[in-house]
Amino acid sequence: MIYFELVALSFLGIACLIVVYMLFHLRIVEIQRSRYRKWKNIADLLVRDAIFSEHDGDDGLHLPINRHTEGLLENERFKKILNKELLSAKKNMSGAASLNLKKLYLMLQLDQYALKNLSSNKWHIKAKAIQDLGIMGLSEYLSKIYRQTNNRHELVRMEAQIAVIKLTGFEGLRFLDVVSYQINDWQQIKLLNELSLLPAQNFKGIENWLLSENDSVVIFALKLVKNFHRYELYNQVEACLNHSTAKIRGMAIAAIEKLYREDTSKMLLKRYLEEELSNRIAIAKTLQQIGGEDDIPVLISFLATEELEQKRTLVRTIATISENGLDHLNTLAEAGEPPLSLIIKQIEGELTV
Amino acid sequence: MSWQSIVIDIFTYGLLIYSIVLLSCYIFIGAYSIGEIRNHLYKNSFTDYRQLASASQAPGMSILAPAYNEGANVIENVRSLLSIHYANLEVIIINDGSKDDSLSKLIDAYDLYKTDHFVNEQIKAKAVRGVYKSRNKVYKKLIVVDKENGGKADALNVGVNIAQKDYIVCIDVDCILEQDALLKLAKPFLETTQQRVIATGGVIRIANNCIVEGGRLVAVNLPHKFLARVQTLEYIRAFLLGRMAWSRLNGLLLISGAFGAFDKEIVIKCGGYDHNTVGEDMELVVRMRRYMEELDLSYKVAFIPDPLCWTEAPDTFKILGRQRNRWTRGTVETLNMHKKMFFNPKYGFLGLVSYPYWFFFEFLAPLIEFSGMVIFILLTVSGLTNWHFFLGLLAVVFTFGFLYSVFAILMEILTYNQYKRRKDILKLVLTAFLEPFIFHPFVVWSAVMGNVDLIRKKNAWGEMTRRGFAAVKKSN
Repeated sequence: MIYFELVALSFLGIACLIVVYMLFHLRIVEIQRSRYRKWKNIADLLVRDAIFSEHDGDDGLHLPINRHTEGLLENERFKKILNKELLSAKKNMSGAASLNLKKLYLMLQLDQYALKNLSSNKWHIKAKAIQDLGIMGLSEYLSKIYRQTNNRHELVRMEAQIAVIKLTGFEGLRFLDVVSYQINDWQQIKLLNELSLLPAQNFKGIENWLLSENDSVVIFALKLVKNFHRYELYNQVEACLNHSTAKIRGMAIAAIEKLYREDTSKMLLKRYLEEELSNRIAIAKTLQQIGGEDDIPVLISFLATEELEQKRTLVRTIATISENGLDHLNTLAEAGEPPLSLIIKQIEGELTV
Repeated sequence: MSWQSIVIDIFTYGLLIYSIVLLSCYIFIGAYSIGEIRNHLYKNSFTDYRQLASASQAPGMSILAPAYNEGANVIENVRSLLSIHYANLEVIIINDGSKDDSLSKLIDAYDLYKTDHFVNEQIKAKAVRGVYKSRNKVYKKLIVVDKENGGKADALNVGVNIAQKDYIVCIDVDCILEQDALLKLAKPFLETTQQRVIATGGVIRIANNCIVEGGRLVAVNLPHKFLARVQTLEYIRAFLLGRMAWSRLNGLLLISGAFGAFDKEIVIKCGGYDHNTVGEDMELVVRMRRYMEELDLSYKVAFIPDPLCWTEAPDTFKILGRQRNRWTRGTVETLNMHKKMFFNPKYGFLGLVSYPYWFFFEFLAPLIEFSGMVIFILLTVSGLTNWHFFLGLLAVVFTFGFLYSVFAILMEILTYNQYKRRKDILKLVLTAFLEPFIFHPFVVWSAVMGNVDLIRKKNAWGEMTRRGFAAVKKSN
């Protein structure tokens, strides 16, 4: 019994301590918030001065910094706020203003701060340092960042991969030659988004990435082919249609839609029955864009399937690729019976709207 | 030693051991959730969700919102769903044979016309009377399905049959979603390469007394009424601590029916929602996991600690009792349907840890607590009570409950800090202190009655009357 009392009192005591800590924490946060507002204004002012600075030399930026701000620069918290404001401004600037911000960053030796963090054992600190150096465009640290593109921690290598593209453009994609980890779909979206900000360029390497042993690299390469319309890689993409991984074949179907030739639809139709369901639907959807009247007889032959989603996509394809598509469908013996009759009716309705 | 004292000893020490194991589980859950929340917050700081909103490769999402007699708020609720930031989206409202004017209101408000939509009945469900789309291109994401009444599970199954996207998001039509809720829910599906993410859940928060304008939550307030406030605390505890820890262990068995995303292909392969249980949300997750385990496929059920969805909590004992009664029946039905997995090593962590935990500490806990109290009273009447022991154990359990709640409040403050005023935090602490005396006994009683109703084969859903956010706004 005495133990119960002790345990219950200990629980109650810890709970009370936590409550006291919570109240104390809230008070500290309140104080910090008002200090943050003040410091943010000072940081904003510094950033604004840098943006509008007209000094045109290569020897750095000359900004009048008062003694109070100079003192604040020694403070780690202020440094963090300033760093945040600088980076956020840099993301939205270009030209001289952007260069000035970089100079301010170097002048305040925030690069040294990032560099120190780059060797941290904590992944989020390391990843943040990489992100900062990438945003600031400090290519002198490229080799240090490049080494992290195959880091075992996902977020670190993701930020490093983005940073090398920021620093060297399409050239940065060379990490795809060596990356041994899978690049997930989220990272691929981020990388493509980063690349879309760069001026178009006929970069090299895709042909090798299409042959990579890392499936995610092949998929990403196919997305590059698709997004950048790399017509010269038609044969390599066609070869990916024979890949053992269904997801890669599916991506190859999507990519080839953008590169199509006269015989592409025939080639896809030939593969149709060998493919799994999701890729069959992908082929049928691709044909909605590149198919023609000649493909209709083969597409009609595929309608014998019991799988209704596939059947609906095929009907939609037939009705889309030719003005006479619906007439062809309505002449079929099964066209008067459900489910085909109902599917045709739905597609007719869709096309009318 | 008499046989009575042997029985009493077995009962006493059995109760003690059970309490120690239960408390240890909670301590583990609390501690284990910290790492997962911290990791999520760090990861979030590197995420720009706008990239996903505009990406052509964002996964397609179909929101499925069943509606039954929601005429009073349906227009506003649909508007709220249509305003969600997500490009590759369709919003499917399933009118589950409402007896009110929900459908005609929707037709008028969104300029709907009946289409000749072919319903591919991949999951068996009640007949669809019509599929409606809007003539107005602004509402091109909207699909309204009118069907015969068949209950929530049936309505969701019809939604799955109609959905054209790869992922379905099941929500309660009267929930308020955060603008970036879908972006956050979609991300886990894109993040894994080795495992297939079959479902993702997000945190549900209590919206009573919050300010809602135009279908959007504009200000978060702590509920004024005790009953709603204690549920706020309960949700913080369950979502921020419990589900995060289970998510880290990849052992989550439940994604709330109010808001969750699922891989449509797996849902269809599993046969969709089960009509024979009132706990269809939990049952589906368990069946999907079981399916993946039986096929030996690598998978994950993900969970996000961000507050993504706000719902109105019952603020009367009558409605709350119905809800908890139903939750209990749903849990027991689900556990019963999948009893094959109980301590079955073939199902790995699911069979050896997740299922037994739910059996012993979610299903049995209220029954043990209730019977413990009853036996204690009987022993008191017969003069056999070891008062010190029982009161001591009770004090330990109650103070631990209070400590656990206070820890959950601390985690809330250190992470999302939705209730910023010190007054609100103190109110939450006071609520945590009062909970074991007012709310908890009622919840235990409702759970016991849920078991009784199950034995009596009562399988009604139980009417859930809500005040609606418009009323909440006025009351402010």
